[in-house]
Amino acid sequence: MKTRAARLFLQNLGSNNPVFSQVLGICSTLAVTNRVLNTVVMSLGVLYTLILSNILVSLLRRRIPPRVRMMSEVLIIASVVLLFDILLRAFSPEISRQLGPYVGLIITNCIIMGRAEAFALSHPPALAALDGLSSGLGYAYVLLLIAAVREVLGAGTFWGLPIAGSAWSPWTLLAMAPGAFFVLATLVWILKGAVRPQPATPEATPR
Amino acid sequence: MGPPKPILRQPMMNRVLLALVPLAVWAVYLYGWRILLLLTLTNAVGFLTEWLFCRTWKQPVSTAVFVTATLLVFGLPASAPMGMAVLGTVFALVFGKMAFGGFGRNVFNPALTGRAFLYLSFGAVMTAQWAIPFSGFPAGLAAWAPDAITHATPGMLLKSSADFPFTTLFFGFKPGTIGGSSPFLVLLGGLYLIVTRSANYRIPLAALAGFFLCHTIFWRFGLGKAGPPLQTALAGSFLIAMFFYATDPVSAAQTDWGRWIYGFMVGALSSVIGAFSVWPAGSMFAILLGNMFAPLLDWFIRQRSSAARSPSAQPLGGA
Repeated sequence: MKTRAARLFLQNLGSNNPVFSQVLGICSTLAVTNRVLNTVVMSLGVLYTLILSNILVSLLRRRIPPRVRMMSEVLIIASVVLLFDILLRAFSPEISRQLGPYVGLIITNCIIMGRAEAFALSHPPALAALDGLSSGLGYAYVLLLIAAVREVLGAGTFWGLPIAGSAWSPWTLLAMAPGAFFVLATLVWILKGAVRPQPATPEATPR
Repeated sequence: MGPPKPILRQPMMNRVLLALVPLAVWAVYLYGWRILLLLTLTNAVGFLTEWLFCRTWKQPVSTAVFVTATLLVFGLPASAPMGMAVLGTVFALVFGKMAFGGFGRNVFNPALTGRAFLYLSFGAVMTAQWAIPFSGFPAGLAAWAPDAITHATPGMLLKSSADFPFTTLFFGFKPGTIGGSSPFLVLLGGLYLIVTRSANYRIPLAALAGFFLCHTIFWRFGLGKAGPPLQTALAGSFLIAMFFYATDPVSAAQTDWGRWIYGFMVGALSSVIGAFSVWPAGSMFAILLGNMFAPLLDWFIRQRSSAARSPSAQPLGGA
């Protein structure tokens, strides 16, 4: 049981990473990674939602009729996310304003629905919570990497503090949405090469 | 361990490079010897970038990399910092070419991919700081780099109904991009490419038709910011874009009818983007858009011709 949990944990961070391996949650990856601070808040939101929704779905998994399971999952996820949105608005209205609709859009993040469908529905609550935690962490560290690259190169700041000299001319494109595509693609390129070193296949070596 | 042949010889690309030499000499004459350093540096970095990929793929580096690096520099203003040109070259090759699998597989013209990245990232340098060329013999041949900067090129001023003598525009004593200054030399190089069949004549011909058709209409009826068509074509980088960038055999259309349509589309879009957008000139985005549609045009035309050959064959539907 212990080794299984550990394997699950590592898989969700690495070879089965929700962002760069399953390529889920790309909308939020592109939208919020222009600033590190926004990304941290967004990651916390997704982490919290994943853990809680996984636990709730897992607890209710024997009571949910299969025919309405998706509807029930969305209902659970939506209530969890709404709670986060309300808390964020109450305690840090500034960040809430900056993130705009993206907090509410956590509901539609494929990772959360995906983990509920693929894992929580068929596993006990403790494992489901672990799955939520590791998937959320896997999401968070990839997003933070992207955000760090984009904020430093695209704006010359980190966590809102200027770190590049005045001679630095920011790469404006990286601060725009297309920049996220380039950074994400490069990261997927590097991480897939590092995490899953593949043997030479016909596609990998053209001609 | 390196591949046996480090450089793939591509006679066609060599001819393109030859056609670019007069433009480089003219650029040095206008803007001083710094241009030569800029060209050397980007070509070296470009070669190194491609070599890093080709080493793992065990492929020779294509001569086309020098065309890409040179064309990238030719699309920059003369005041462009070295680091920016190098960044553009690396981006052009990594994301414009190697990410697709190397020479012959890229969808977009690599030089323009790099330029678009620089254009969107460093807008101020790319659109508002034009070095004023040296005048009077020996001009740039006795200088390193010009100091004087202007904020607008003739191509931009034409939109606000300024006027320039034909010879100034045609022979290229005017601020602008490094390579596109002289339509005379561009046409000379372009004709050489067409005569040696290094570039397909259909593309520039259709592009000129598309541009003049659209721009004449816009100018006649005062639509957008369209200036007089002939001067507009000569003032900016339109001609070099149509003869050297749009004709890239990899990213342009490959079928004859495809080339006509692709060329016309690129020319017309250059006019539309130039006249109606916030950007001073539209050739770059026009060609990138054209590149995007070129495979579809080819697919459609091959489909039609194979259907014509065997009328009973059902055309493939869907994606």
